Amino acid sequence: MAGKIVSIHSFRGGTGKSNTTANLASQVALTGKRVGVVDTDIQSPGIHVLFGLDEQKMGKTLNDFLHGKATIREVGFSVGDNPGDGEGLVKLAGKNLFLFPSSIKGGDISQILREGIDFNMLNEGLQTAITEFELDYLFIDTHPGLNEETLLSIATSDILIIILRPDSQDLQGTSVTVDIARSLDVPNLFLMVNKALPKYDFAGIKSDIEKQFQATVTSVLPLSFDMAENASKDLFSLRYPDHEWSVALKKVVPYILEAK
Amino acid sequence: MPGLFDRLDKEIKDSQKDGGMSPLDIAKLPPSLRKIMRLMLRELQMGYPRMCEVMDAMPEQDRLTRDELDSALSDLTEQFWLIRIGKKEKAIYKVNLRRKAGSTLAAGIWSAIDAKIKKPPESLK
Repeated sequence: MAGKIVSIHSFRGGTGKSNTTANLASQVALTGKRVGVVDTDIQSPGIHVLFGLDEQKMGKTLNDFLHGKATIREVGFSVGDNPGDGEGLVKLAGKNLFLFPSSIKGGDISQILREGIDFNMLNEGLQTAITEFELDYLFIDTHPGLNEETLLSIATSDILIIILRPDSQDLQGTSVTVDIARSLDVPNLFLMVNKALPKYDFAGIKSDIEKQFQATVTSVLPLSFDMAENASKDLFSLRYPDHEWSVALKKVVPYILEAK
Repeated sequence: MPGLFDRLDKEIKDSQKDGGMSPLDIAKLPPSLRKIMRLMLRELQMGYPRMCEVMDAMPEQDRLTRDELDSALSDLTEQFWLIRIGKKEKAIYKVNLRRKAGSTLAAGIWSAIDAKIKKPPESLK
């Protein structure tokens, strides 16, 4: 089979899903792999910001593809050819990283809400992106919670990474997602803990959560004010590669590269 | 005059209007069919010989006999979870995913929202 689909999911919002997806995809692209990032959070898109895109720079979008106004080839934006100005982003110059953004125009979002989504078309777009761009990995940034787009991305994933905070609501929601992923036979199911208070025992968190879900916790990332201060203006792990958040994030990469 | 491609395309589109499956429906299937459905989602379509090949490669306890596979495919096609093009050994199958329904809010609400979105707020002028 062609490239692998890596879905990044969280049951609740605010877990740092888009930031994690953008940074992980970029770290994998830095290893020389061909990587795509799709924003299937069509109702509230945001990952394009991390790659330095705004409404003016954004060309064709996933919405155009879903409405038959563009091919997936036209939607793919080469980050390697247009890396933006951020100190972290410029490290992606020349890398094979492609973004498939969702539209941030109010009219396009309301059209999707009003008319619904053709999932046959969405799935065709995901699979065609892999073949046309010869991707090794396609990262899917999903909408938090469980909706139909998320279920589709879970059902087609080779690797599912569920992000959670060490918080009771997150833990409960994660157990629902883990059950669904298992019932859909996702071959590689991983967890990643984000926003853990530095005073916590990270090794203890890892072992407790692994025991609770019988799944591998790839890494525990600290709650970081530096990361918050970055305010999605740049790719944090590329700009500050030695920061503890970046070091913890980079521990996830081998799980992706070594997954069967 | 419409060609073969147009006719097949119309046939697929007509079938898709009649329903389809949710990704969650895959979870209800037996393991062997689940695997085939997942593969079909990835490969977009699958010929019958390839499906038999995948089935034969499965662990014995999960494997379906040819009769069981044919009957399952026939059921799934009747439910419009699968779309079949062609017959018997030459059949090609595609998964038919149910469309996500649009909002049931009154149309007037959407046109009001669209009008608001198109008109920038006074503070941005």
